[in-house]
Amino acid sequence: MSAGLPHPLTYSVILDESLGLHLPPHVYYMWLAMIILFTCGFILRGRLQLVPGGLQNVFETIFGGLEDFVVLNIGEEGRKVFPFLGAMFIFILVMNYIGLIPGCDAATANVNTNAAMAITVFVYYNYIGIKKWGFGYIKHFMGPVVFLAPLMLVLELVSHIARPLSLTLRLFGNIRGEEIVLVLLFVLAPVLGTIPMYFLFILGKTIQAFIFFMLTMIYLKGSLEHAH
Amino acid sequence: MFFFKRDKPSEALELFGNVATIGMQLVVATFIGLAIGYYLDEWLGTKPWMLIIFLLLGIVTGFRDVYREAMRLQRGADAQSSGPACGPGRDDARGGSDRQGK
Repeated sequence: MSAGLPHPLTYSVILDESLGLHLPPHVYYMWLAMIILFTCGFILRGRLQLVPGGLQNVFETIFGGLEDFVVLNIGEEGRKVFPFLGAMFIFILVMNYIGLIPGCDAATANVNTNAAMAITVFVYYNYIGIKKWGFGYIKHFMGPVVFLAPLMLVLELVSHIARPLSLTLRLFGNIRGEEIVLVLLFVLAPVLGTIPMYFLFILGKTIQAFIFFMLTMIYLKGSLEHAH
Repeated sequence: MFFFKRDKPSEALELFGNVATIGMQLVVATFIGLAIGYYLDEWLGTKPWMLIIFLLLGIVTGFRDVYREAMRLQRGADAQSSGPACGPGRDDARGGSDRQGK
């Protein structure tokens, strides 16, 4: 929760000095999130059970719920794109939660991480659309009326370019803002002030991860369904 | 899990998510229009015109996106109040919401 301050005392700074790699902090915290997720994945893969318990239960609740949500919204085709969506959700969620640990910083509190993920989403939903519709994918940009098609093409182009930018800025602004509030409250009232905010920010960070997931799902739905 | 009731994302999560998405699109689409106009001007040398045109197009796009999003939320609310008939087959309702933006 160092909020990108000029001289943050985070574990990544200590690690960076000892490794001598000169990488920015968000890279280390993204690696930490990846390590956590890979470890969970390998542990769970080794002992999958028919009647889940413990960790498997948690993950089955999350992914079962999300998959139902996706299938309800997109339809059966949603099962094909669900791995991407679910990975996005859990990855952002873990990165957001890492920001709540004292001495750690959320990787999503940096524009670069979010921009990378948003561009991935942009490329992915266009790829899915082109794969499904071929050249007819351009009809998605044309609108329903023929003589308005050139105007709609420009409007849709602006709208589609705005999507990754708005994904990036929303996630970045919310997470960075929460980190800064945590630091300020910690300065004002060391432990007492931050404890209540933790509950609010656990909610906020979950919502932000869910928003990213939901918007990606809506974009994928737009590229999978019929052009109007 | 706190946020997943009966194996699906809780309603609060969905509601917050929907509401929080609306405002950003308006601003970002305007700025994207502005940026496209600015760089087209630099490229083509038509100093103020592309900027003005694309700024207006960006604003129109922003409002259209917000309108479309609101219609989507409205449809979701209608489907919820009229029963559990929502689902994958309701795509035909989209066509009516795209005649704006003129």
